[in-house]
Amino acid sequence: MFAVIYLPQFHLQAVWRQEPELRASPLAVMDDAEPKAAVMELSAAGRAAGVSLGQTSTQARARCPEIVLRPRSRAQEEAIAGMLLQGAFCFSPRIEATAPHVCTLDLQGMPLLATFAQNCASVEDWAQRIVAAFDQMRLSAQVGVAETPFLAWQAAQLGRPISCAGAAEEIVAALSLEKLGLPTAILDRLERWGIGSVNAFLALGREKIAERLGVEAAEIHDGLRGRESRPLKLVTPPETFEEFLEFELPVETIEPLLFVLRRFVEELSRRLGAIYLVAQELKLQLGLAVGAPYERLFVIPAPTSEVEALFRIVHTHLENVRTEAPIQSLRLSARPGRSGQYQFGLFETALRNPNQFHETLARLGALLGSDRVGSPRLRATHRPDSFEMEVSRMANGVFGEEESAGEPSQVCGLALRRFRPPLPAVVELRENRPAWLRSSWVSGPIIALKGPVKISGSWWDEKRWAREEWEAQTRDGGLCRLAREQEHWFIDGIFD
Amino acid sequence: MKAASANGIIQLRRVLAERFPQVPAWTEGVAARVHPCWPTGFKRLDESLQGGLPTGAISEIVCDGGGAVFLRSLLGQAQQRRQLMGLIDGCDGFDPAGMSAAALSRLLWVRCHNAEEAAKAADLLLRDRNLPLVALDLQMNPNGQLRKISATTWYRLQRIAQQSGTVLVTLTAAAMIPCAEVRVNLENRFTLADLDKEPEDIARELKFAVTRSHVSRETATAIAEAG
Repeated sequence: MFAVIYLPQFHLQAVWRQEPELRASPLAVMDDAEPKAAVMELSAAGRAAGVSLGQTSTQARARCPEIVLRPRSRAQEEAIAGMLLQGAFCFSPRIEATAPHVCTLDLQGMPLLATFAQNCASVEDWAQRIVAAFDQMRLSAQVGVAETPFLAWQAAQLGRPISCAGAAEEIVAALSLEKLGLPTAILDRLERWGIGSVNAFLALGREKIAERLGVEAAEIHDGLRGRESRPLKLVTPPETFEEFLEFELPVETIEPLLFVLRRFVEELSRRLGAIYLVAQELKLQLGLAVGAPYERLFVIPAPTSEVEALFRIVHTHLENVRTEAPIQSLRLSARPGRSGQYQFGLFETALRNPNQFHETLARLGALLGSDRVGSPRLRATHRPDSFEMEVSRMANGVFGEEESAGEPSQVCGLALRRFRPPLPAVVELRENRPAWLRSSWVSGPIIALKGPVKISGSWWDEKRWAREEWEAQTRDGGLCRLAREQEHWFIDGIFD
Repeated sequence: MKAASANGIIQLRRVLAERFPQVPAWTEGVAARVHPCWPTGFKRLDESLQGGLPTGAISEIVCDGGGAVFLRSLLGQAQQRRQLMGLIDGCDGFDPAGMSAAALSRLLWVRCHNAEEAAKAADLLLRDRNLPLVALDLQMNPNGQLRKISATTWYRLQRIAQQSGTVLVTLTAAAMIPCAEVRVNLENRFTLADLDKEPEDIARELKFAVTRSHVSRETATAIAEAG
């Protein structure tokens, strides 16, 4: 048994996906590959207004002044073709990309076929689920199930939107000659012969059809008789989930960009959700009018298909992006993955909302500078105040290192409050020891002193440094750390 | 039979407390507590506050010596409870030196240039709701900057902390937060000799005065209701 998923009005659906507001309008998709663009697909409203296929844009407008004309959207058509395969793969692992708008599924070995001979309800339910899944992706699909790929394709075209036929005769009875895909010359000849139905066509017999109408018609005859049994050319669906739009006019402000971006995120989320996947990474690409495109990869801390969470991550970043040229195109792709399942420690406290935390870190980074937010990590050096800010681990919800042996278990005694940069000071020396201190923070005679501690490092390269440190207590009670570096005095900080 | 099962539970609690010392044990003190609290790590202060700093409220620590020690103690508690702590450093003065990598890895350090930035950062972190403890350190910020933070800002932060259940601790040089649930004055003068002391000794000797407390307010309410 085979099933065919067919996307009718393929070119129109590609346009509607980008401009859903045109669904009710008279719309014609023009084939721009022709020297003179002609209508290649037409919405029901357009057809009702008297426009027909093959007309030029002038002729179409003459018939219906309100008609909206759109060129083929090849990027959207590619996206839909990918979605068709991705959606079909959820229902059978053996699929064929028969055409951009047609996907054939091999149902061999599927449990639902066990009861098909007695009752086709289970197959109809299954087909209904396919239609619902595509409906969730805002695509209208028709499904046909039959014994051969050809019959399944014919059944799918019947447009009910589900057609599950156990025998070839049921489908043949419902078909018309025009739907068989016979060349126009053969159709004309059959009409002249007075043959107006598929049953009459089949009654001619295979030999006579082959003799008088050629091999092509004979093959269709075989297909209708259920004798065709070609192997499927199996494919795997593309693993990329991508949305692309080229703006008619370059975009210079964030608002239109965000508008489109939100729709993209919604679309990607819908596509991922339909096949039970979540986004692990988002890749944003802004094509600029001049110069190389701007690219940014977002790793999602807690993979999700939630629109708000995904949109906020991109939105927060874009608030601080300045491009050198207007934006010509927008591409957003998602790397899919399975929904994350973690086993935390019994007493480990997880973040309530890692994605929210990631966004907050991004906002704080935008407010203060990315180097001023994060978890401090001490550098392996004796140089005072030497640390680096680590944000990536924390942003990904990873925090808390196990305590390693040898390092201080908690805190040292008195803590220093540092001045960054160190506060310049004037120090009066007596017997080469600080005796009087003057600075903008603390001034006065030094009544107690500890030091000096002479430290140096990196003497082997150009970053060499050397300093001496004193702990000093002034008469007014202030306890501070003094440092002398290259004959200049500073207050590193006060003990608090 | 009942006595036997009660003894069993007590023994089980004891075994668990020995096996997992980092997990706060269920004690009589915890049971008696009305609101969940965040211990400061200073035993006497925690006793005065009946467990520690209240969650979902602002606790103002007015520092005249000992603010940095207090902050480090809070971070030690966060490490012990395996929680994250946010430190909004109003003047970029926190010194991570001398602290373990394990403790630092639980710290989100936000290094601000001035008090205005610190207030904005506090707003963002509280709204985030991921951190159970946020410390806003404004002790070193000049008065001119602090005066620019309006009272409505503090009320807003208090409301957000209340909604998110976050412990918001502010360190200031002078009392300035009208809606602080708890106010503790730290008054300490350190000498050179204190540099050689162990953290436990400094914690034990830390001088403080609780000038406003949710505990006293609850007691007063209870007395009024009883009367």
